[in-house]
Order: sequence, then C-alpha cells, then structure tokens
Amino acid sequence: MYFKRFFLITLVLIVAQVANAQYKLSGTVFDGSGNSLNNAEVKLVNSTVSETTLSNTEGKYHFSNISNGSYQLIVSIYGYKEFINIEIANSDLSQDLVLFSYNTEESLEDMVINFVSAKSEIEKSGFAVNVIETKDAALRNIQTNELLDRSVGVRVRQNGGLGSSVNYNLNGLSGNAIKIFVDGIPISTYGPSFSLNSIPPALIERIEVYKGVVPIYLSEDALGGAINVVLKNGLRNSLNASLSYGSFNTTQANFNGIMRRDSGFTVKASGFLNNTDNDYEVWGNAVKVTMPNGREENVRAKRFNDSYRSIGGQVEAGFTDVSWADHFFVGFNASDVYNEIQHGTYMRNPYKGRFVESESQVISLNYKKEDFLVDGLKFGFTATHSNRAEVVNDTVKWVYNWLGEQSLGLNGEPILTQQGAQQGAPTILHSKRKIYSLRANLAYEFLPNQVIAFNQLYNSFDRKDNDEMKSILERNFIDTRKMTKSISSFAYEAKFFDSKFKTNFFTKIYNQKIEKFKPVLKTEDGQSVRVIEESKNQFNYVGYGGAFSYLIRPAIIVMASAEKAIRMPSESETFGEVGENIVENFGLKAEVSNNFNLGFKIGPYKNTNHSFSFGASGFFRDTKDKISKRINSRLNDAEQVTPFENLQKTKTIGYEAEFTYIYKEKLNFLINATKFNTLFNRQFNPEGKQYDYYNQQVPNEPFFTINASVQYMLKDLVQKNSILNLYYNYGYVESFYVNWLEVEQYRTLDQNIHDVGLSYVFPNKQFVLSFDAKNILNNEAYDNFAVQKPGRAFYMKINYTFNKF
Amino acid sequence: MKNKFLKPFAFSAIITAMIFSSCSSDDSTTDNGGGNQEPTAERYITVAGAMMQETDGDGNGGTKVFAVKKSEALNPEFSIDVYGNGEPVLSNRTARLQSSEDGNTLFNIAYTGDNGGTFSKYAVKGGASFPQQDVSVNISQYAGTSPRWAKLFDGDKTGIAVNVTAPVVNTTEDGVYINTRGVATVLALDLQNVLISSYKQFEIPLTTAEEALGHHIFRLDAPVLNKAGNKLLIGLWMRKTNPATGQVDSNFTRLGSKTLVVDYPALTNPQVITSTVGFGDTTGYRSFNSYLGQDGNIYQATQRDSGGSHILKIGQNNQYDNSYVFSLDSALGVTGSYVDSWRYAGDGIAYVMYSHAGAENQGFIARLDLNARTATQVVLPYEPGLDFGQYQGFVVDGDDVIVAVTPVGKDGNIYSFNRKTGAVTKGAKLINRAGNHYIGVF
Repeated sequence: MYFKRFFLITLVLIVAQVANAQYKLSGTVFDGSGNSLNNAEVKLVNSTVSETTLSNTEGKYHFSNISNGSYQLIVSIYGYKEFINIEIANSDLSQDLVLFSYNTEESLEDMVINFVSAKSEIEKSGFAVNVIETKDAALRNIQTNELLDRSVGVRVRQNGGLGSSVNYNLNGLSGNAIKIFVDGIPISTYGPSFSLNSIPPALIERIEVYKGVVPIYLSEDALGGAINVVLKNGLRNSLNASLSYGSFNTTQANFNGIMRRDSGFTVKASGFLNNTDNDYEVWGNAVKVTMPNGREENVRAKRFNDSYRSIGGQVEAGFTDVSWADHFFVGFNASDVYNEIQHGTYMRNPYKGRFVESESQVISLNYKKEDFLVDGLKFGFTATHSNRAEVVNDTVKWVYNWLGEQSLGLNGEPILTQQGAQQGAPTILHSKRKIYSLRANLAYEFLPNQVIAFNQLYNSFDRKDNDEMKSILERNFIDTRKMTKSISSFAYEAKFFDSKFKTNFFTKIYNQKIEKFKPVLKTEDGQSVRVIEESKNQFNYVGYGGAFSYLIRPAIIVMASAEKAIRMPSESETFGEVGENIVENFGLKAEVSNNFNLGFKIGPYKNTNHSFSFGASGFFRDTKDKISKRINSRLNDAEQVTPFENLQKTKTIGYEAEFTYIYKEKLNFLINATKFNTLFNRQFNPEGKQYDYYNQQVPNEPFFTINASVQYMLKDLVQKNSILNLYYNYGYVESFYVNWLEVEQYRTLDQNIHDVGLSYVFPNKQFVLSFDAKNILNNEAYDNFAVQKPGRAFYMKINYTFNKF
Repeated sequence: MKNKFLKPFAFSAIITAMIFSSCSSDDSTTDNGGGNQEPTAERYITVAGAMMQETDGDGNGGTKVFAVKKSEALNPEFSIDVYGNGEPVLSNRTARLQSSEDGNTLFNIAYTGDNGGTFSKYAVKGGASFPQQDVSVNISQYAGTSPRWAKLFDGDKTGIAVNVTAPVVNTTEDGVYINTRGVATVLALDLQNVLISSYKQFEIPLTTAEEALGHHIFRLDAPVLNKAGNKLLIGLWMRKTNPATGQVDSNFTRLGSKTLVVDYPALTNPQVITSTVGFGDTTGYRSFNSYLGQDGNIYQATQRDSGGSHILKIGQNNQYDNSYVFSLDSALGVTGSYVDSWRYAGDGIAYVMYSHAGAENQGFIARLDLNARTATQVVLPYEPGLDFGQYQGFVVDGDDVIVAVTPVGKDGNIYSFNRKTGAVTKGAKLINRAGNHYIGVF
C-alpha cells in the first residue's frame, strides 16, 4: 500500500544556457534509501503534454524538447508512485526523483518478479525470513515490539508494560537462541538501555526476521534465528519528530534528522524519550491480597512499582556517496534507563522498590563501499566500543501486597521478606561491562551472478561486578570474566537460469574463549596473600547450511533452507555462578540444532483494483545436547552446586501462513497464523519405557496465534488532499499450559485482543495526527507464566516530517 | 451424552433419568451420613508419584496421587498406575504432601510457581477423587513460595513451616569478618480451621567462637514437638563462610549436629543445642527427620555427616543425650551412610531409607532397633536406579509399616514391613513411567 506522505520534493533549479525555447529535463530516480532505480516509469504531464519514458540501468531518465510551463512528473514502479510539480523556465532542468515510500537495498536488476519491494526481495531469498515494513507504524502509537509480535511466527513475550523485560520467541525457540541486531550489529553491544522498544518505528526502515537459518552477515551463534532491525538510511535532508501521550501517563517522543551537503558530508542525529508510570490495572487470578491469617481475597489493583524512563541519543557524522566510500560514519550513542520491577517470574508477590538503572555509551565506526578496489567487490567494516554500567537496586526488606501496602502479620507488625529484599538477598549490584566488536565483510562477484562472501566477527566482553550490599571482604573476592568470540563465515551465492534459481551455501567457524579471574588466598612464606587464579576454556565448532529459492513462474516462488546451527555455552554455564548455585563444567559442549525450512510465496498478483499475495512455510528443528541444569537432591546446595550439562533433546515442527489483500490502494487486509509444537523428544529410557512427556508440548509457550489487520484509507475527507487511515487489529493467542502437568488451573485463558486506531495526514503532508485504542474490550491478556498485560488503553500521537532543507 | 439418547428414544430416556436420579441419591447419602461406612472402616492408602521434568528422577514435572484401600495396597495381584489414573496435585514442582493420621485427609503446600506457598486440604475419597475441603491459605508472605513444612504429631491439629533468609556476611567497617546470619521464620498453621495461627521471626546466633570461624545456619526444616508439648525442635542445615574471603567454603570441618529449640506454642526463646556424637545436618529432605519415641525421647537422623549418618537422641530435657551413640556406618557395616528418609514405627523400631559411599546414590531400606542400636538391611529386590532422595511418605498403621519402592523409570511394588517381626510382605504392583518415581504412601 502506498501513501503520499513523504511527498514534497525540493525543486532545485539549475540555470543553464538558454539555447532555444525547447529545454531538456533529466535526472536520476532513487528509492527511499537512495539507491538508483532502473525501469521506473516517468511520466511528464500537463494539460497539453503527456510523455512517458523509463529510467535506464543507472536510474537516469531524460526528456527533451520541452516548452516553458508547469508540469507534473509522475514516477512509478510496481504500484509505488510519487508526484512532483516542476516548472520549466527558460532553462534545462535537472530533477532527481525519489520514491520515498519504496525501498530496496539492491538495485532492480535482481528483480525477477512482477511486483517487488525490498520486503519481497529479501523474503524470496531462500531464507525463512519475513520482513516487516514500518512506514505505516511510524505514524501510529505502535512500539517496535508490537510490530514484531504481529508478525508471522514471532511472539514477543513481555513481562508487563512498556520497559518490562522482553523475550523473543521465533517459532518456538527463545532466550539465548535468538539474537537481535541493529543494522547487523548485535543489540547487546548497546547495553540494556537500548532495547528494540527504545528504537521508535519512525527510525526503522524495516525489520528482517530470520527463522532458523541465518545469513552469514548476521554471524552469531544464533540457534533459533535472528531479528535484524535496519535503520533508515535515506540520503536526503529530512527531519522527523513525533510526540505521543496516552494511558498510564505514557509519553514517548523521538526525533530523527539527516543532513547532507553536496560535498557528501552527512550528519545524522536521533533521540528518544520514553516515560511511563505503567500503573495499569491487573485483576487476574494471581492478583490477591493475603490477610494476616493466610486467607486470600482477589482484588483489582494498579501496578505500583513499574515506572519506566529511558532517554537516549545518537549522532553520526561522515560522508555518503563519495568516491572513496558509499557510506562512512563515526558515531556516538548514549542512553540511560530507569526501570522499576513490579514482580518476578510470577505475579503472585508484588515487589516494592526494586529497580534497575543502566547507562551505556557506544562509539562506532562504519564503512561501506561497493566496487571496493576492483569492480564487483563489496567491502563493509564496523567497529564498536561500548561501555555499559548497570545497577540493580533491591533493599526493601518488608513484604508488600498488591494494594501497594505493607503486609501486616498476625501481631500487626510488618512482615520481613524471605530473602531479605524483594526478589532475593538485598543488593545494590553494579555491573560494568566493556564490549569491543569488530565486523568485516567482503563479497566478490567473480563471475556474473556468482558471488563469494567472507564475513568475520570478533567480539570481546569484559565484566566486573560489585555489590554494595556485600561486605568489603566479599567484594574483594568477586571474580571477573572475559569472553572473546570470533566467527568466520564463508558463503557462495549464485543465480542460475535468468536468476530464477538462487542458491546460497555457507559455513561458519565458531571460536570462543572464556576466561575467569578468581581472587583466592594462597599461603606464601607463611603469609596469606590474595592472588588471582586464572582459568580458561576454548571451543571450536563448525556449522554449515544452505538456502535455495526457485521461481517456478512469475510471482510463484518456492524456498528451502537447512542449517546445522550452533549455540556456544555462555560464560556462566561453563564457569558457574555461585549466586545461582551453578558449578563449573569445563566439558560443556555447544548446543547443536538441525533446522529445516520449506515454503512458498505467491504474488503479489495485481490488476487495476486488486492485489493479493499468499505465503506459507513449514519448519522442522531437531535440537540435541540442549544445555540444561543437572538435578541432584542429595547434594548440599549450600556448598556443592550443580553444573549445566548437555542433556535435553527437543523437536519442533511448525507451520505458518500469511495472506494479504489490497483493494485500490485503499483497503489493506492481512491475516497470518502460526502454529508450532516444541516437543519433548526423548522417547525411551534405558529400560525401553516411554517417557510420559514424550511428544508433549513444552509448557509456558504460546503455540498457536493468529493476527489479522484491516486498514482503510479515505482521501479528502475533511480537507482536500488530506488522508484519513482507519485501522483495526485482532490478535488471538490460544490458551496454553504453564506447567508440565496439564491441569486447568495451570492454563491461561484464550486471548482475544482488539485494537483500533486512526491517523490523519494533513494536506501539507507534514503533520500526521493519530489516535490508538488498544485492547478496546479490556480483555485479560497474558504472557509467559501468566503475567497480565495492560487492558484498555488510549494514545494520541503527533508526527512531523520535514523534507525540505 | 444424555441428550444423544434422549431425543430418538423417549423410553430409554426415562430409564436413563431413573438411573441418574437413583445414582445421585446414593451419592448424597454417602456424602452426608457416611451410610456406606463399615463398622471398621478400612484405611485409605494414598500413593504419590513424582514426574520428571528434564532429567530422569528430577521429580520436577509435578506430582500425582491415587488412593486405594489398604487391602488393595497390600495385594500383590493388584496394580496401581498413579500416572495413568491419578489426580494431579496443584504444585509447580514436587508437592510437599502430608496426611492425617487416619489417612482420610491429604494436606499439601504447593512448591514454587504462581500458587507457591498455598496450603490446601483434600478429602481422600478413593481413586482419583480428592475434593478440596475448605479454602486455601497462603503462607508465602511469611514463609516464601517454596516453604518447608511438617505436620506435628498432635492429632492433625498443627503444621509448622520454617524458613531462614539468605545469610548475610557481616564485617567491621574495615572488612574484618564478624559473622554470617539470616533471619528465621517459624510459622504455625491451624490444620483444622485452615488458618495461620501464629508466627515469629528472629535471628539465631551461634556461639561467638563458632561464628568467628564462619559457621552459620543455612536452612531450617523438619520440626518436631517434644513429649511435654512445650518445645518445638527444628532441624538445622549448616554452611560455612571462609572468614578470610567472605565466600562460601565448599570444604570444611563440620561442627556437631545442631537443633533449634523454641518455646511452644509461643515460638519464642530460640536456643541452639549441639551434639557431640553426630556431625551432620538435621533437616532431612522434604519430609520428617525427627520423631518423638514412645520412651519420650526424640530421635533424629543426620545428613551429610562426616562420619556417616547417625541417629541422635534428644532427651526430655531438650538437650542431646551424648551417651547415646548410634552410627549407621558401624551398625550396617558401610561407610558414608546417608539417611534419605526414615520413620519411627513404635516400640523403638524404625525403618530407614539410606544410601552409602560407593552405592552411586542407590537406595536401601534397613530396620533399626533404636534401643539395641542395631540395623539390618531389609531383604528387597534392590537395583541401581532405586533412589529415595526425594522420598516423602511412610504409612504406619497397626503393626504395618508401608512404603512404595520403585527405581526411577521402572515398575516396583508397595511393601509392608511388620514392625514387630520384621516380616516383609510384597504389596500391589506400582506401574511406573520413564523418568518417574513413586515418592511415598500417605
């Protein structure tokens, strides 16, 4: 669907020699990311003239013999259109045309399908991937995580409202198995303050969600998949700012500006501010007030320790489209977060006064060049250094109830908590992390349609903890950890049969080194001396895979991919964590998973009024050596703790499908459904007896979801040239068990969430006003471990875009 | 189902209705007056099985229960499949079960999860029927969502839940170690009225010398009431801080076994008593660990004892009787014995489930004579995979001591031991599933 939101184009007149009364009009057609577009239709019209031409392979177009006067230029490609008003006044005119609503990272020579966008290009690359475009969302009150959550095969599991901890589930795998990237850089580099939710959709070009098999430029030990957020990379001067306010005293503001000089010097700046009380009402089964005698009463209560504030900004300066670089930036990024925590895994016992403060600073360097040194060689390089500091603060020693009051005991006095503070022992834990990350990639098209690529990642991670609530003595003996990881990947990409058949083979070599420095006391010459005991461990693994796609006929494509994926053990899994009763296990192996995906996409098929597309895919994942904790009840968990081991096996089988229909660029309908079954996959014990839970769904994971959305556009309703968009979104999550024992009491409700919204684009196309109502029926919405999400909520947002500098 | 037949056949509908109505009237008489009760009502035996979650035998996948008549439990021709036919007990991890002395009521405190710390009471009606009685009571704000508790032998009147907060290392301002301490909670639960009746929170100091070495209390469990009914004795699990580093010492010389003594029912005046005979912890695991003998003394088992498990004796003066030395190592001729679970059966006889060094966690059962301080291994089909580490429930009914014996993932049997003669009778077959084990009879 296309909107004429980013509409007005600067009219730059270059006065040339006046030769005669007939002038020339020429220029280049670009997409929203600044890539030139070939085969774009360019139409020049006024009341008497109508001429049409196509842009050439370099995106250039040309009209000659034009008389003085006002004209309209209509540039279109695959249903995307822009209108530009020009004036010919006694000179030739050079006019570049930009299809702002249309984006592709690659030039159109790769396009083999009738209607292609960056979205469908990536989606048809053979990988199991879906691409979320954010241009609509940018105008609305939608968080980035909500966008992801509506996407097929993705569940975003959030422990409450804005700012609460988030866990991504891609077709049933979650936690360490999923890696999140921003422009190809792991988000963890930016620190916890820089979560996906702190990136407003307005800054995002698109989100690529890779399920299972992950292309090499996102090299990480991501077992279950990866989410790559591609930030806006337009080359034009522009400013975008938005402010929203709504329920639970939620304010969200952000801006994003870019300025480019003719010399190529470019400055990008962006900032965000989120602030919310998150005091939404909860009333689910776990929300109870316990009386001194232990009797319980269900209550409706407002969350009282859940406010969240984050602020951050990023400045990048450098050059774009100069002879020595397509893209060269030095950047600085800083953010700061204050986040209160209302409860632990379960909602049963609310917390008071537990909060986390974190800040991070990141310095980055980015370089990208096509035809680097020789034609056909692409080179990219990214280096980041980040400093992260986090403080977890939990010192309140009294029990609180859901009404936010101190719980009183039988004798009328406040009750002390079990562990001395809200979640555990009292803590003011400072964690300081230093992360260096280097990433380089080279791709060379050594023959037409034959590319070899190499990608190298190097990460180093230092961590130092200090708990103020611990005695000086203990703090002197806290260990420090260091982890370095390098992943080298090689890929071969080729296209055959007029680019109808695409293949991609790759191998990834993983290397991880982890070190622990533990202060201990040693007796030397009869004296106790504090010395540092060093231990380390190193792993090497090889993974490999391939992705294929075949265009059977125009707009029908089948895709398959397979990978042997690796997840390396984390430093605490190998070295143990005294606080969590985990003992070291130097022999711990990586988790290995075989992933297979098979799917097809049809469309978009389009005639004058209707356009539709349909896609479906299935996947199978067989995970071995899953890392899990050993249980031994006889060990003294006070002094002997248990290690992690490679024990478990799980199997996941799933399906997903998505259908979109567009009518006259006015009505846009989308529905998708995902079903996956992550099953316990050990069948027999050594005696040949079958396990009870063999083939049983792993609990605590929603496994069947449906999302549907309808969007309708009305033009010229209130004012001429204005656009009114109406939205409706429906989300369904089938009830799921939160426990291996499949009893009703351990089952969530079916969830049916309805959201509506509207946005109004003012005639000047610079202001957009929107209104959103979430969960309008105020239905109970739950997440993992039956944590209740917000009920009915309303938000207003104003968005301002300025493209003329 | 009724509708399915009603519409086409009016005649059968009438019959059906008659059958249903007569059935329900039968039910109500049973419920109201116990009209079916025989003169000597046969005791129910509730069998409990723990399911695995991730690892064979971890018991974290939940608990199921199933009740049979005692005669069925002792019938070797009878089979019980608690996993196929039983009722799940509401608990995220293994339930902490106790039963009334007559076996007609089952008590549970859910362990961890959304309802962790919730105490519920169920009537035992046979089979998988365990209707909940009264309301639930939540003790989590006093004792946490994973409380340790035991029922007192006071005629099903009281349950005691205990807890100690995470021990904190205390030092002087310049970092010189002083001690490590947590705050203890002792809570009394009125099992009849389903209410919390009292609770107390306090620090429990050890001696200055013991504390200077870094010793501290890490956990409380297994409370028992003394003969006079005026003192509660609570088992202690000890840990040690290395005073030079403030870190937990993984290897240390243990102090003599200790027990916390508080006034009852006031739950005040905490005192710690120390044995010179045993050197292990006195908390047991998930069930009783101390019993009041008919001779008025308390008998207590030790775990992680440097000299192998002992049975210790606490006299009516509420002090350890150090003249009583009963080492299981020497009585059984093994080393590193470890009492997983045990039960006093009366007349100085007890049955103990134990493992020992070199047995690789395999469990055995022995018959103890507490007076003679002798132990004899009970003759049973022992095999690897038999592990009583999570065992919770024995039934003592008349002269019979009834236990459930299943290796992890294999079928087993109920056994009954005659406490007087020591005779072993094989009872009902216990049908097992892979990774699971039966954790007790109640």
